[in-house]
Amino acid sequence: MSIKIDHIHKSYGTQMVVRDVSLHVETGELFVLLGASGSGKSTLLRLISGLLTPDHGRILLNGRDVTMLPPQARDTGFVFQNYSLFRHMTVAENIAFGLSIRRKPRIERERRTAELLDLIELREYSNRLPNELSGGQQQRVALARALAYQPTVLLLDEPFGALDVKIRVQLRRDLRAIQQRLGVTAILVTHDQEEAFDIADRIGVIEGGELLEVGTPRALYERPRHPFTGAFLGTANLLQAQRNGAVVHVGNAHLPAPPDTEHLSGQAVSLFFRPEEIALSSSPDTAEGAMLGAGVIESLSFAGAVVRIGVRLVTTEESNGSSGALLQAAMTSAQARALSLTVGQQVWVGVRAYHLLER
Amino acid sequence: MREVTPRSWPAFVVIGIVLLYAFVMLIVPFATVIYSALRDGLQAVVDTFTDANLQHALLVTLVLTVIAVSVNALFGLITAWVLVRQRFRGRKLFDLLVDVPFVFATPIAGFAVLILFGREGWFSPTFVPIVFAYPAIVLVKIFVALPFVTREVQPVLESLSPEPEDAAYTIGANRWTTFRRVLLPEIWTALLYGIVLTFARTVGEFGAVSVVGGALEGYTESATTFIFRALKDRNDTAAYSVSLLLCALSVIILLVMSRLRTRIAHRA
Repeated sequence: MSIKIDHIHKSYGTQMVVRDVSLHVETGELFVLLGASGSGKSTLLRLISGLLTPDHGRILLNGRDVTMLPPQARDTGFVFQNYSLFRHMTVAENIAFGLSIRRKPRIERERRTAELLDLIELREYSNRLPNELSGGQQQRVALARALAYQPTVLLLDEPFGALDVKIRVQLRRDLRAIQQRLGVTAILVTHDQEEAFDIADRIGVIEGGELLEVGTPRALYERPRHPFTGAFLGTANLLQAQRNGAVVHVGNAHLPAPPDTEHLSGQAVSLFFRPEEIALSSSPDTAEGAMLGAGVIESLSFAGAVVRIGVRLVTTEESNGSSGALLQAAMTSAQARALSLTVGQQVWVGVRAYHLLER
Repeated sequence: MREVTPRSWPAFVVIGIVLLYAFVMLIVPFATVIYSALRDGLQAVVDTFTDANLQHALLVTLVLTVIAVSVNALFGLITAWVLVRQRFRGRKLFDLLVDVPFVFATPIAGFAVLILFGREGWFSPTFVPIVFAYPAIVLVKIFVALPFVTREVQPVLESLSPEPEDAAYTIGANRWTTFRRVLLPEIWTALLYGIVLTFARTVGEFGAVSVVGGALEGYTESATTFIFRALKDRNDTAAYSVSLLLCALSVIILLVMSRLRTRIAHRA
């Protein structure tokens, strides 16, 4: 039950909210659309469900062109951020709603409702009204209601956005387990990158209505192609550089070029690396990774398991732009203790893993 | 928390004035009607209701009111839905226009119907008479009570998120099923409240009904125009007896409204 989106456009008046988006979600995949608020991700989900109609483009669910079909004819399950349960119906009636409008026999309705109540572990709540449940329980019911009639695809619009952190983590893992057990193809929309990393098979980063790039969580985090993706998925360090032959020149430093960046040879590029890839040492002899040069610690902040460090490079003056660049580093509290780091201390800055972005 | 139990003498004076005002303006007329109707004994009241013209007037009132209430319930509901769920140019003006019957003197509505559908009117009917006949009475009854259903349902609809309706669509429900099983259970109390208000307003309408109906005995005469004629004919017992019936109806309506208001408050 794959989802194929082919050059979809949608605008409200003169404002374009989805721009030429194409995407293919494989059967059984949990695909996460990640973007800031107003990026067009929820609009894209509503276009797939049929609650909105695109200006151009096609949507295919399992090979069937549903672009002009109403939501009733698309056979999707939709879970909303604010649960959107029918508050005058009991939990069981909510779950059975899709079955009753499909005129399924009473025995089948009851059996399926009981199965789903077991799946979401709320069997003893079947006769309660939604307002007698917690937010997390309501969202479980909303999920069961969307799954009851075995839809082709499951669409989830910020389903954990209204829940507190602890319940959110538990519920998203439960959702992942249920989705994998049922093998249902799903698209989940969120602005929370941690949530996306936790459950996604693949992530699509959306900004300004454009799908910037798609990839596995690890690939997008470590080797993004777009600077926005790099910055949106966590803290990113970017230094101006030049790739010549097999070498990347960053100020006075020369680093081996990553193997998958031949296409950028001879170009001005940005050297991209994450804070945890920075290795600090007290002398050049003990430095780890590719050496960027000397730096001075400008800030230290304790953040529980990790220490965040601001380091300003000092050895690349008269070079091509990385002079005096402030880098964000992160290391475990134990590592920071071993180096006895203090503000104003001079250190040597190495980088273990890095990536090149087109500039 | 603010102190609300009266303790000072000015507070007691204000309460006294309000109670006296309510007594004079509400209770006294009501009591007078009951006293006057029963002055000649219960049998006189019973005899009044054996009058064929009165029975016809009551039937006309009931049937035409039910028609007007049904039309207003349907269109009032649709109007509320359009005002809340749709965005279009002129929506605010339309919203304002809904209240016109509240500020219009009802005989003016009657004159408008005469101008439009009278013998020399702009849309003078060829075959079926409208003015001085039932259709004109229904028209003015619809007009005078037009805003009630809309104004009762509208705020309840505004307080409802459209997402449960969207959820129903994605689950596979068509628009009618969604209205019947998702939306109506949420708004039916407000709808019923609007219907009761519409009924109360429509059944007691006099000015516009007498202008367009002509109060023709045994034909277009309604309960309120019957009272007017009975008073003119110095048939006080008949006038007060019909008034008593309408008062009893008002009390029933008040009780129903009170129950509905409690339900609406509970749901909110």
